[in-house]
Amino acid sequence: MSDDPVDDDGTPDNTSGDTRDDDPEASAASGQRRTARVRDRLERRVLAALALGTLGVLLVVFYYPVATVLVESVVVDGVVTLGVFVELLRDPFYFGDLARVFAGENPLTVARDFLGPDRRIGIIGFTAYQAALSTLVSVALGVPLAYLLARFEFRGRRTLRSLTILPFVLPSIMVAVGFVATFGRTGTLNSVLGALGLPPVELMFTLEAILIAHAFYNAPLVARVTTAAWESVDASAIETARSLGAGPLRAFYDVVAPQVYPAVLMGAALTFVFTFGTFPIVLALGGFQLATVEVFIYRLVRDLNYAEAAALAVVELVISLAVLFAYLRYEAKHTVQSGGVRPLPRKPLVPPVNTVREWLPRAGLGVYAVVASFVFIAPIASMILASVTGGDGALTLEHYRFLLDRQETGAAFQVRPWPAIRNSLVFAAASALVALPMGVVIAVVTTREYLGRKLVGTLAMAPFAVSGILVGLGLLRGLVFGVEIGGWRIAIAGSAAIVAAHAVSGYPFVVRTVAPGLESLDRSLIESARALGASRSRVVRDIELPLVWPGVVAGAAFAVAISMGEFTSTIVLATGADAYTMPIAIERFIGRRLGPATAMGVVLLVVTAISFVVIERLGGDYSGL
Amino acid sequence: MINGSNADDGTHSRREFIALGGAAGVTGLAGCSAEPVDDTNGEGSGNGDENGVVGDGDDDRVLTVGTFGSFVDAPSISPGEWLKDEFESRYDAELQYATPDNELNYYVERAASGAQMDADLYVGVNTEDLVQIDEAYDGDLFVSDLEVDGDEEIRDGLRFDPFGRTVPYDTGYVSLVYDSTETEAPETFEGLLEEEHRGDLIAQNPGSSTTGLRFVLHTVHRFGDEGEYDYLDFWADLQENDVRVTDAWDAAYTSWSEGEAPMVVSYSTDQVFASQDGADLDQHQIRFLNDEAYATPSGMALFEDAENPELARQFMSFMLEPDVQGEIVERNVSFPATETAELPADYDELAHEPDVPVTFDYDELQGSMEGWVSEWERQLAGN
Repeated sequence: MSDDPVDDDGTPDNTSGDTRDDDPEASAASGQRRTARVRDRLERRVLAALALGTLGVLLVVFYYPVATVLVESVVVDGVVTLGVFVELLRDPFYFGDLARVFAGENPLTVARDFLGPDRRIGIIGFTAYQAALSTLVSVALGVPLAYLLARFEFRGRRTLRSLTILPFVLPSIMVAVGFVATFGRTGTLNSVLGALGLPPVELMFTLEAILIAHAFYNAPLVARVTTAAWESVDASAIETARSLGAGPLRAFYDVVAPQVYPAVLMGAALTFVFTFGTFPIVLALGGFQLATVEVFIYRLVRDLNYAEAAALAVVELVISLAVLFAYLRYEAKHTVQSGGVRPLPRKPLVPPVNTVREWLPRAGLGVYAVVASFVFIAPIASMILASVTGGDGALTLEHYRFLLDRQETGAAFQVRPWPAIRNSLVFAAASALVALPMGVVIAVVTTREYLGRKLVGTLAMAPFAVSGILVGLGLLRGLVFGVEIGGWRIAIAGSAAIVAAHAVSGYPFVVRTVAPGLESLDRSLIESARALGASRSRVVRDIELPLVWPGVVAGAAFAVAISMGEFTSTIVLATGADAYTMPIAIERFIGRRLGPATAMGVVLLVVTAISFVVIERLGGDYSGL
Repeated sequence: MINGSNADDGTHSRREFIALGGAAGVTGLAGCSAEPVDDTNGEGSGNGDENGVVGDGDDDRVLTVGTFGSFVDAPSISPGEWLKDEFESRYDAELQYATPDNELNYYVERAASGAQMDADLYVGVNTEDLVQIDEAYDGDLFVSDLEVDGDEEIRDGLRFDPFGRTVPYDTGYVSLVYDSTETEAPETFEGLLEEEHRGDLIAQNPGSSTTGLRFVLHTVHRFGDEGEYDYLDFWADLQENDVRVTDAWDAAYTSWSEGEAPMVVSYSTDQVFASQDGADLDQHQIRFLNDEAYATPSGMALFEDAENPELARQFMSFMLEPDVQGEIVERNVSFPATETAELPADYDELAHEPDVPVTFDYDELQGSMEGWVSEWERQLAGN
């Protein structure tokens, strides 16, 4: 990474020696400066080239393909029209009472009805409602984990931190299996409640089940970004505050909290966007009565009704981007300049002294651990158990034997486990290598000062916000079937396209983990370094990179995880069974019994877990945040 | 060669990617292809398609079969491998499968984009597919009035396309599967509404699941879509009685297996699998409501621009041969399409057929199906 020209300052020219080039007494120094200037210019060029490359990849594997589908919402039978949107906006099924406003009713009347008992929020209203609740639950379950990981030292802390990535890669059907076994009528939770003499809870097919499942996926996300921010709080700032007479709570509110808030909010914004756009888990655990927008996009695409599907996707996209935009505005206003990288010392889990103040937070973490073991650990444990349970309920290794058997005897057109594992690893590594420069460049570009940068920043987040179903369809049309250029049909598929698509899905994470670091960089540090004669690349290497490095590594981890878990684009772009990945193998192994699929799911879990533990061990103390 | 040779190569350095300036710059990377657009005679295909099919020199005897993934790849039901080996040895031909994730819609998209079909026939077309395609796509995807040797043996009532585009190769029934150690399933649809069956049934979303769609269609067949008490009224009552509706069959079946509810909408062949697994058959009972079950014939159809239509017809005849029918039925866990199928002796004991198979034909579904489903959605998911 060290050769990445992270040029953070947006001012047109800050090289202090420029005006004195012709001073004869300083010719030697001037020669040095000239080299420095050439180097600066070169670095700018590289930056520009990287930015162009990023734009190119985005255009080819994202914006163009997606545009081929979205355009169907405004071009129907070759005629440009807004009719589809008008009809959609006026449909109470989607927009609830708001549709009446769009249809021209008096907003006041509608507002009065809305406050009454017969209010309708519509599918879109409900989708936003469940996403908002999911976000709250995810934050509530994510922040304590971040507190634990950032502030305490205990055996296995780093391993635990790397394992928090696991939920990310799990296909929804695996999560559904785990959740039914944990929260179902006869599940683990009810057994425990029964043993304690408490009445059973009915969680399946309720909103609560969806919220917990969404937290399963997203609380670790909140935890990871928050941990990263918490760990980069500079200890000396707190010491200064304390020495000026602030109590520990006061120091927390004034120094720590302002640096942690933006990360929590970022996790929250991303959680909202993800839960606004997901659907398999909603239907598997909540049932159709709790269907979200994406469910209908899926059905409309399946029915080949692209106009309405695209229009709905545009609505979904606009709402998601608005949330991201709002977050970026907040982030820009609330970044705290940080100048050091000496992290706070971690506390032991067993308090050194027996005081209430030492025990209280630890007791809170104890309660949290109980909750977390049900939300995160029990479902995964149930998945593993399901992979060794036969049709008759007895323990068996037959599902793993199926995997071995398929590996040995599977035909060329079938999915075999080992190539799937190998492809997953190769694609993950390659796409992280592509996503990193893309993300860093976009982070640099969007943290410079210019009008509309937040808009650019928001658009760069679009891969998070566009309906996955439409991305898949767009890739099929735009890349796989190809484009006619000058009498030739150019088509792209296969490994390179998969890697590019994974990088596009993952790079926004890199942007979001790197940008706050860049934003909060203390400019005076850079300026003094430059004034003292440090070259631009030296500043990058010695000052900027160390400060944003935790963010870079965190982003890389997300990029790898996204690639490991990606399904939609991979299946579309794969050139055959030899380009399939683990999630595809899982899907293909779903039969009447889920055994073989869960066995493959456990393989995915183990491979991912090992990868992340290894990444962390190799990455040193700064990594794995 | 488009993608065969490079398919494994995922390790391009990032520089290669960064060098891409636009669409033109991408050409030449692994997985890129360029072929002349006006390839009218269809000969230029040393090109593979996106699903692993790579032609070799001798195209005459290469048959490409488009189908759904589980036909070739699922652990429990996949006759694909056996059919390939058998067909290749009997007909001195090479059979390749293409299993795009979007299934038949993939080919509709292909046709609509003007790309070559790269498959000769599709295995796994049903009535609902045809209705949907005809609604959305103006061109002709399949050859009409298709006749193949042996199709006179097809059982009565299985031919479902008035335009003769499909040759049925097997059929099945959507029915209730229930755990008789937990409850005794009702005999009739109305029985599902009784208090003792509150929260007992798991069904699927007709918009995303074929079993779900067939079950909703069955209720339309039973109650009609107008009048005093139509299928929506029935579903309103079913909702009152806490029916669960998941997106896909597998999620429903998982919840059912875990004891979340004792009845699930599934297939009437359930016991075949259950006995293979050594499960207790009392927990896998079949119920045909009102002695009916919705029939689900599956067919094969020949693509309009097939490169080897003759070989494709031979394949279809092959699929109807008595011993092949027997294998399909056993491996796909379904019921035969022909009168002459050679079935395993104990097949009847575990695979159940209803007294009254019901189904909507093409003409009945056309123009109505989409409305039925979307009305159903609006009722069940209204917020």
